[in-house]
Formats: sequence, structure tokens, C-alpha cells
Amino acid sequence: MDHVAAAPSGAPAAREPGPLRLGRAEFPLEQRLVMAIVNRTPDSFYRPGVTWDEGAALERVHAAVAEGADILDVGGVPAKPGPEVTVAEEIRRVVPFVASVRAAYPDLVISADTWRHEPARAVCEAGADLLNDTWSGWDPKVADVAAQFGAGLVCSHVGTLTPRTRPFRPFFTDVMADVTDRVLGLAERARRAGVDPARIVIDPAHDFGKNTWHSLELTRRLGELTATGWPVLLSASRKDFVGETLGAPVEDRLAGTLAVTAVGAWLGARIFRAHDVRATRQALDMVAAIRGDLPPARAVRGLA
Amino acid sequence: MIVTAAICPSPPLLARELTGRAEVLPELRDACAAAVRHLLAAAPDVVAVVGTGQETATWNPDDRLDLSAYAPPVSGAHGKPGLPLALGIGALLLDEAGYTGPRLVQAVDEAAPAAACLRLGRDLAAVAPRVAVLAIGDGSTRRGPAAPGYLDARAVPFDDAVQQAVRDGDMAALAGLDPDLARDLMVTGRAAWQVLAGAFAGARPATEISYAADPFGVAYLVATLT
Repeated sequence: MDHVAAAPSGAPAAREPGPLRLGRAEFPLEQRLVMAIVNRTPDSFYRPGVTWDEGAALERVHAAVAEGADILDVGGVPAKPGPEVTVAEEIRRVVPFVASVRAAYPDLVISADTWRHEPARAVCEAGADLLNDTWSGWDPKVADVAAQFGAGLVCSHVGTLTPRTRPFRPFFTDVMADVTDRVLGLAERARRAGVDPARIVIDPAHDFGKNTWHSLELTRRLGELTATGWPVLLSASRKDFVGETLGAPVEDRLAGTLAVTAVGAWLGARIFRAHDVRATRQALDMVAAIRGDLPPARAVRGLA
Repeated sequence: MIVTAAICPSPPLLARELTGRAEVLPELRDACAAAVRHLLAAAPDVVAVVGTGQETATWNPDDRLDLSAYAPPVSGAHGKPGLPLALGIGALLLDEAGYTGPRLVQAVDEAAPAAACLRLGRDLAAVAPRVAVLAIGDGSTRRGPAAPGYLDARAVPFDDAVQQAVRDGDMAALAGLDPDLARDLMVTGRAAWQVLAGAFAGARPATEISYAADPFGVAYLVATLT
């Protein structure tokens, strides 16, 4: 595929571990961030249409913020195949909403889940801070938009997929090597396009162009990705690999999701894209306390 | 001779680092801080910190509580490993009050008989013309079903008697506390209070109790004696 060949090859660059900048905020290395999912779609895989209504979506934002979300991820197009969502329609779904959220929360980090540069540009104009390019740089101009607006960029891996397609018999000699090569290549491309390196995030993209075995392997070996120094986004919430692993339907994947979250946090991931904000926040705070990065909320047992 | 004294309890939670993100029992912390300020206001030549230990011994004035023994990730802002809990809390309270003057850090065997405690108190009072005693220890740990030591019906009367003795400045009553009963009730303050009684050597100090409660089932008492 053309877009795969477009990324620089060779040994991609690591990054000095350090703060992650998103919007006006700067997040230290040891802070684990919850990215709350708000889908402006009628047909996403989990609780489809729940925030299709703008009022419901804003309510969801208020709740997510109250539950401890650090970042909001707004998407207007489901990942799965389905009725076409034109650029104009995606902009109509997402941009006024992002503007409303920005007006209500001047400092909240807003991410837009998009793979096309036109909606990317429009959401940045409306105040988005991060472009979550889930389809792995399919449209290289998304990086240019991020650079132009001083926004961040998520560099993800989807193997050989084009947007909104399902994996068909994907295979890798070494899936982690493939992921690392791709996301670091994209990160390098973004840097050359002028994106602030402190605003670049990498995402192995569980389930995207991968079977369940691949996603489990990526989870197991996530430390290899975090060792590159680039901030890692873990997006596992209620995904099929969790469902297949546990034999659980989408509404019964929270425990599995939190297990992936905990392992990912332990291995150094920094952003956790989540449907279940409060549970994810708690899981991350627990891991942070186990690691010694966060003191307990209140310790009295045995100390009286 | 002794010019002033204070009684404070010794829960580890008085070390701010140990309670996590929440400040626990701010009113107790405030009472302890005020009692220590009162102590230092007397401009003592030396502050004798007294608390129970495994044996009667004098510790180095530079020693501190090893917080990492209670919370492994908490590293030693307070320094080197060491002091028994009660002495460590006493040192911490003095540090928090900004006291940098001479300290005499005195552990008393938790099982020491009353007579030995009284004798030790008399000796401490004689080390300088103006001695302040900071006696650190707790009452019973068996004050209810939720208490660390569960419920013992003798706990509340024991603590009441201690409180009354302090309120009355009745050092003889403190001197008369039963070490065996105190041990049964998991009282950590008995020996230190008897050292204090010995330091006052028959005098009847004016006292003020600023805190007496058992928020976690352990009797905490904060008082000043002058």
C-alpha cells in the first residue's frame, strides 16, 4: 500500500523520555491519563448512539470530567465498516460539538479521532489539541495539520488496512517489530512535518489489523514500545481481543479491559482510551500507588 | 529541674507522609503542635524526649524515626533509621516546631517497674537547670470492637483514670498505674508517664488537657503540665 511505503524506513528514532504536552498542559512521565471516548456516531460498537444526541454527548463530557478524565476523544466515524460518512458529515458531527466543549472547558485536552485532514483542520480550528489518527497516517496531511496548529498527533499501527476495514488473515513475522517500526516511522515523519515532538504519541492500536493473538502479544510486550521513550496510548476498551479472550460480549468486557489497563500502566503506557472513565481512573490510580508514583488517598490502617 | 512538660500520643499517622494524600486528624496534629510550642516557650536548656523502647537507653539526638519501616516507598526525609516509635514521633514534633536546641532522647524499657521509671525521671530532671520533658505515649488500644486491640472492659476506666490524674496534676496517681494491667490493655504510654511523674518529684503541676479522644480506638491524650 502506498501509505505504508510513504513512511520513512530504517531504524526509527527513540525519544528522550520526558513530559508530554497537550494543549496548554504538560504531563510528567509518571502521570497516567484517562482519555474518555465520546462518539458522535449512531453506530459505534459499544452502546451505539448513546452520545449521538448533542445534549447527551455534552452530559457525557460533564460526567467524564467529573470521573477524572484528562482527555476527551471525540469521534464522528466508527472504525468498523458501514455507511459512508463523508468529510462534510464528519465535520458536521464533530466540529460544533468540539467548539461547545471547548467553550465549556477552556483547559480540557480535546482529542479528535479522525484520519482525514479536512475534518482534522476543522476540529483544530474549533480548539482540538490532539489528532488521534487511528488509521496510521493514511492521509499524511493530517500530520501537516497538526504541525500547522501546534496540535499533538497519535501515530498508530494498522498493518495493511485502509480505513474502516476489518482485518482479514493478518500475519506478522514479529508483530511488535512491525508495530514499532511503523509508529516510530510515523513519529519521525510527523516530526519532520513540524509537529512538536513533545506532542507526539504512539499507539500500537489493538485489534486494528490484528487478531486476538497479536493484540495479546502487543500487550505482553508493551514495555518494548514504552522503552522507545515516546508516550504510548493504549486503546483497548471493550475491544474484540478482550471479548475473544474472555468469551465475553461487549457489555461484559470491563474487567478484561481493566486487566489490560493495569498491565499496560505497569509497563509504562501513559494514555488510556476508555469508555469506563471512573473504573479506568481507579485502576490507573491503583497501579500508580503500587508503583509508588501516587500515595494512597488516605492511609490509616495499622497507623493509629 | 523540670520547668515544663507535655504529653503527646505516638500514632505513626502523626507523620504526615504516612497518611497518603489526606491529612488525618488535623485537630490532633494541631493540639500536639500547640503543646510542643508551649513546651518550648519555657526556654528550656534541654528537651528530654521520653518514650518506651525495648530497653532503657539514651539515643543520639540526631536520630529520627525510620518512616520507611512504616511505608517502604517513603524515603527518609527524616533521615537515618532508628528511633523507637514514641521517640521518633517526639523528635518529629520537635522538628516540626522548628526546635534545634539540645535534646536528650531517652527510651524507657516498656516493662520497667514504676520505681525504675520514677528514678529515671528524677535523674532526667537533674541534667540541667531548666529541663522540659516531652512524654510520648498512648493509652489503651482495647477501647472497642473496632479498636486495634479489640475490646477490653478495663480499657475505658484505665484511660479515664490516667486522664483524671493528668487533669489534677496528680503525679502520685500516675506513679501508681499498674504496669501489668497497662500491658494487658496495650497501653504504650505507662512507663513514659511514670518517668514524667518522677521528674516532677512530688510537685503538683498545673495542667491543661487539649485533646482526649479515641478516633481509631486508641486513647490519645495531649496535655501540658507546668
